Amino acid sequence: MQTLIQTFMERRGDLLTALWQHLGISIAALVIAMIIAIPLAIWAVRRPKMAEGLLQLTSVLQTIPSLALLGLLIPLVGIGTVPAVIALVIYALLPIFQNTYLGISEIDESIEEAADAFGMSRMRKLLKVEIPIALPQIISGIRTALVLIIGTATLAALIGAGGLGTFIMLGIDRNDTSLLLIGAISSALLAIVLSALVRWFQTAKPKQALTVFAVIVALLGGGGAYSVYANRTETITIAGKLGSEPEILINMYKDLIEANDTHVKVALKPNFGKTTFLFSALKHNQIDIYPEFTGSVLETLVKGNNPKSMTANETYQLAKQRLAKQDQLSLLKPMAYNNTYALAVTKKFKKDHQLSTISDLTQVESLLKPGMTLEFIDRDDGLKGLKKAYNLDVTAQSMEPALRYQAISQGRINLVDAYSTDSELRQYNLAILKDDKHFFPTYQGAPLMSTSFANKHPKVVKALNKLAGKISETDMQEMNYEVNVKNESAATVARNYLIKHGLLEGSN
Amino acid sequence: MTAAIEFKHVKKDFNGNNVIPDLNLTVQQGELFVLVGTSGSGKTTSLKMINRLEPLTSGEIRVNDQDATTVPVRDLRWDMGYVLQQIALFPTMTVAQNIAVIPEMKGTPKKEINQTIDELLDEVGLDPEVYRNRMPDELSGGEQQRIGILRAIASKPSIVLMDEPFSALDPLSRQQLQDLVLTLHQRYDNTIVFVTHDMSEALKLGDRIGVMRHGQLLQCDTPTAIAQHPINDFVRDFFGASRAKNVYDIYIGRVGLVQGYLKQKPAVADGRIQRLDAQATLRTSFEALTNHDYLAITDDKVVQGYLDRQTVMAYLSEHEND
Repeated sequence: MQTLIQTFMERRGDLLTALWQHLGISIAALVIAMIIAIPLAIWAVRRPKMAEGLLQLTSVLQTIPSLALLGLLIPLVGIGTVPAVIALVIYALLPIFQNTYLGISEIDESIEEAADAFGMSRMRKLLKVEIPIALPQIISGIRTALVLIIGTATLAALIGAGGLGTFIMLGIDRNDTSLLLIGAISSALLAIVLSALVRWFQTAKPKQALTVFAVIVALLGGGGAYSVYANRTETITIAGKLGSEPEILINMYKDLIEANDTHVKVALKPNFGKTTFLFSALKHNQIDIYPEFTGSVLETLVKGNNPKSMTANETYQLAKQRLAKQDQLSLLKPMAYNNTYALAVTKKFKKDHQLSTISDLTQVESLLKPGMTLEFIDRDDGLKGLKKAYNLDVTAQSMEPALRYQAISQGRINLVDAYSTDSELRQYNLAILKDDKHFFPTYQGAPLMSTSFANKHPKVVKALNKLAGKISETDMQEMNYEVNVKNESAATVARNYLIKHGLLEGSN
Repeated sequence: MTAAIEFKHVKKDFNGNNVIPDLNLTVQQGELFVLVGTSGSGKTTSLKMINRLEPLTSGEIRVNDQDATTVPVRDLRWDMGYVLQQIALFPTMTVAQNIAVIPEMKGTPKKEINQTIDELLDEVGLDPEVYRNRMPDELSGGEQQRIGILRAIASKPSIVLMDEPFSALDPLSRQQLQDLVLTLHQRYDNTIVFVTHDMSEALKLGDRIGVMRHGQLLQCDTPTAIAQHPINDFVRDFFGASRAKNVYDIYIGRVGLVQGYLKQKPAVADGRIQRLDAQATLRTSFEALTNHDYLAITDDKVVQGYLDRQTVMAYLSEHEND
């Protein structure tokens, strides 16, 4: 409980931003869904056959799993707020459409006849008679949609649209229950508060209700307009994958770029998503730069066979060359450390069974209970290839990255995949087994951007190149440890490193 | 007298079935005309063709000497009140807002509308202070239909159409509202077309009555003429069917209608004449005639005509075995 309050106090600012983003996405989706569904339902009231078809269609749309829907939208509209809002609109259509349609079509026929007999125009009848009578039902549809939207909007974080989902994702990723709870509770509270507000609309006088609604939309619209206005100056957007390491790196990028060019502002989007989300975002110009690894480029982002046992430099050169050719992207010079895959066991397990290399594992094959990330299990340069190369016969249980460390410390598993710079290796007393057959490729981090961006921003390139060949594996492990375990902010850790190593003048 | 509404060879089909073959009918200005018939006789359809809720298959309906289809439908309906059997007050509007529906559309100044609303409520015996802001579901059925009538006449239309307006009400409310219709009709001098399946109601209200069956107008005449000279067995039976089961429960007013009143006021002292409401039964008239020579039949305190013992006995002997 105390950690929860402490985390809450530390993250107040972030929470407010996330809450605002969440509210913005939700209300935008709700308003758009209303603008589509209500007129459509009114139109369909006189066309029962069409209405039946539309009801079917909206029901089918709602059965698409939200993750799949977000995935489907990425190739069409990229990532960020737009696909998130589209997905939410699609979910909100059914309750609003259905309730509006039923609310109006179930109005007593004699009332309709009376309205006609008094010479009301179609529009007047709609506004004065039909909508007021159907209003309670329409509003209850809007409430259902709203609660649905606020819950589903937590998934927006997966595609870089922000919101309270970032807390939940970060909580899972960092194995931080407080963060997770803050995200989940805020989202639930938001749903309850807004639902009550909508219920108030139902009983409020139409004029009051309309005024309040207009104020809310104006506030959100104004906030949006202000952020557009505030971002008028040249802004470079830098994103990072999930986790502390990318966040530290992008904070370094920001400091270096802004120190080198005062006319540029850097906006950071930490924990923006997984590899392919970021790559897609970069290609769609939704972000300008993100740190990528040479090994990941060759393995998942570009096509072509990879020669085995390449040196670090060969790996970089090949990755750079293929990115430039296939996607017109520039991979700048990499940093020193190699954040590669590794297999780790507890120090005790290592000692008990006298293990030192991955080859040694074949002798204790029957004792192994591996728990690994889905990504590692599925990659050719991960478990798949490893099993062949070392003639190892094991089946791994798939786990979220942060959960597997906990599992090994509790003894539920005894072999994990790891990144060589993970702070948890230190935290949980784990030891890395030596890759004696040099199976894992080199993963060196370097800034990735489009070639045209690089050409237009030579100052940025120059600033980022200051990091080339810097940061050792122990440096990185230490920095990760400071952020993940000691709860220091990535920005502080990044700045301290830059100042300590003379890359930035220690003024502020 | 000029015609308010004229049906000229009006034909109406529903999904290929002919329901009204050839209807010809004239309703005079200022007349309270009652269309009466069993269900499915086409009386409601005929009514709804006047304000174009139902289109005609062929023929013509002239309203105030203009082909109704050539008048913009909005103008036609704004000058034609409509009262429904289901009452159908707009449930989200207050009593005042319901009454104001048409005047508001016509652009009548708000002040004037509010004044009209209060006057009309007073007129039907509902205190404006109490009722103005009530919602329809806070009213009794009878009160609701009073508002339904006010809504129809609020902009003082020259024609009011009423589609079985009282058939869902209890007998007491029905009688009060029938009286109200007569009062309002007299006050505003409008033309009313009133549809009902109740012959008693038709006899009480109608200046003239049109009896319909299978889409045909069988007989169209004054209540007395229909009562005394029904054109065929159907009209006679229909008229009889609306009567009470027991001859002694017949309304005394009906005796006057059927047998005819005395030509003039009997030249006797007022003490020899007993006043009796038209709604009183034949049975009560016996007691009155024991002590008096004549009956003065009144409707709402106005004397309709006089009856003597012979007339009452004649009605009894003719209808005892009906």
